[in-house]
Amino acid sequence: MKNRTLLFSIFSFLLLAFQNQTYKPNMKHWVIIKNCSLKVGGSTNVNKFNCVIANYANPDTITFYKNTEKGSLKLKGSIELNVQNFDCHHPVMTADLRKTLKAKVFPKLVIRFISLDKYPLFNDQSNAIKGIVAIELAGVTKRFEVNYRFVSNGTKSLILVGSRQVNFSDFNIIPPRKLGGMIKTNNELKVEFTLSMKVID
Amino acid sequence: MKRILLSGLIAGCILFILSYGGLFVAVKFFPESFVEYNNPLFNSDGSRDVLFYLHAFIISFALAWFWDRFKELFKGSFIFRGLEFGFVYSMVALLPVMWITFSALDITLTMVLSWFFYGLIQAIVTGLIFAKINP
Repeated sequence: MKNRTLLFSIFSFLLLAFQNQTYKPNMKHWVIIKNCSLKVGGSTNVNKFNCVIANYANPDTITFYKNTEKGSLKLKGSIELNVQNFDCHHPVMTADLRKTLKAKVFPKLVIRFISLDKYPLFNDQSNAIKGIVAIELAGVTKRFEVNYRFVSNGTKSLILVGSRQVNFSDFNIIPPRKLGGMIKTNNELKVEFTLSMKVID
Repeated sequence: MKRILLSGLIAGCILFILSYGGLFVAVKFFPESFVEYNNPLFNSDGSRDVLFYLHAFIISFALAWFWDRFKELFKGSFIFRGLEFGFVYSMVALLPVMWITFSALDITLTMVLSWFFYGLIQAIVTGLIFAKINP
């Protein structure tokens, strides 16, 4: 009788353990395919600048864990961009932005996807969703709420456009000032990233 | 010595107001002319701002000594003496410095020409002041 109870306990434990091991949340994978870009817009007291890292095409994967608490979706995945690839369409501005972002010391700009308010609807032509990302720049990582636009490209592919205003000071960067402060760069930057993705189940 | 220091100080104060006031007005009304200054060649962290604003006094004291040493060579009215002094300084000191600067640094011709004329006007203004207060 004692042996039976012990055997039953072991069996029950193994069954539970097995169940826990094989349980997986409802996951979706998105693979970044092509034509991805990151735009940064800012201004000085003498001009405006728009810098872009174009043609990012690393086949990174973003994983969605559905049905988490509060209805939000947990995300896992990131994109790594090379700061040296920024192009401000003006050689002097390009060189200055790279120097300001400390590209030689911190060559990567990383965007980590943390969560999303809801899963995008593919039958919707365009829908707006909010989400959380962590941006790592110049050795500092900071979380931001991002406004996303999802443009559906069919049932299995979509274009995700995330935008957010950030400050140089968020990353402990001093906005450049020249000629004793006569020429000043404003602290605010508008960041927009566009990712083309394909859904794989 | 006292005469050099006093004239240098007076010229420095006047030059400070004219130079940085003029620069402020130029940035305000002709911003497109200053886009090229967004260049990593220029100090951008503000660590040398004091040195930048001291320039008016550095050039004034240097030129006050130069004037005191060679003022007998400049003849005529105080306006003519001031103009000639500014021209001599520009030819002897500014032109060679601007030449080597343009040849060595990645800056535009417009930029280096503006520096030359900025220095020429500074030297003429100090020359006029010195010709008046230390004839």
